[in-house]
Amino acid sequence: MRRQKKTCPITEAGIRFVDYKDERFLARFITDNGKILPSRLSGVDARHQRQLAKAIKKARYLALLPYTRGHQP
Amino acid sequence: MTKGRIAALSREYEAVYIFDSALEDAAINDKIARHHGLLGATGEITLDHWGRRQLAYKIGTRETGYYVIARFTADGKALPEFERSLKLDDGVVRYLISVHEHELGAPPMTEEQLAARRRGDDDDDDED
Repeated sequence: MRRQKKTCPITEAGIRFVDYKDERFLARFITDNGKILPSRLSGVDARHQRQLAKAIKKARYLALLPYTRGHQP
Repeated sequence: MTKGRIAALSREYEAVYIFDSALEDAAINDKIARHHGLLGATGEITLDHWGRRQLAYKIGTRETGYYVIARFTADGKALPEFERSLKLDDGVVRYLISVHEHELGAPPMTEEQLAARRRGDDDDDDED
């Protein structure tokens, strides 16, 4: 049986460029531990996944997103 | 394109500064003005003060930072000196300078480049 094709949530939201400063939006695409969610789970298309990965890495550097939540007391 | 031409390009940049949240607002504004003085920026510098906010993780002993976003057009040659002054400033916890990417693709072409492109396109003008 064919799996139903997922549509990209970023394209659907009409976003042309993923902004690294919008940490609330980026937080939808990371796991509870802070890892970047794979596109096979989130349904993000390849172009946006590349933008997303870069944006998340910039946001981590700026302490807007955690690198990991593993070290918190 | 030669290396010299790339370095002389004036582009729109976006910088994010995280200042020590213990600094007073006046001191922060002072520092921003001093650093931006090095840029020789053409046109206006737009500033967006996010203010003090919680860091997602501790940086040293700091748990909060004062965020400022700046957008400016500057010559690439001015950036190393600008970056050096930020690096040496103890009040700046962290900074990130990047090309302001508001749209997908390359930066807008100049009139000259557009004209050159139009000339080139005349040969293969068989699009639908």
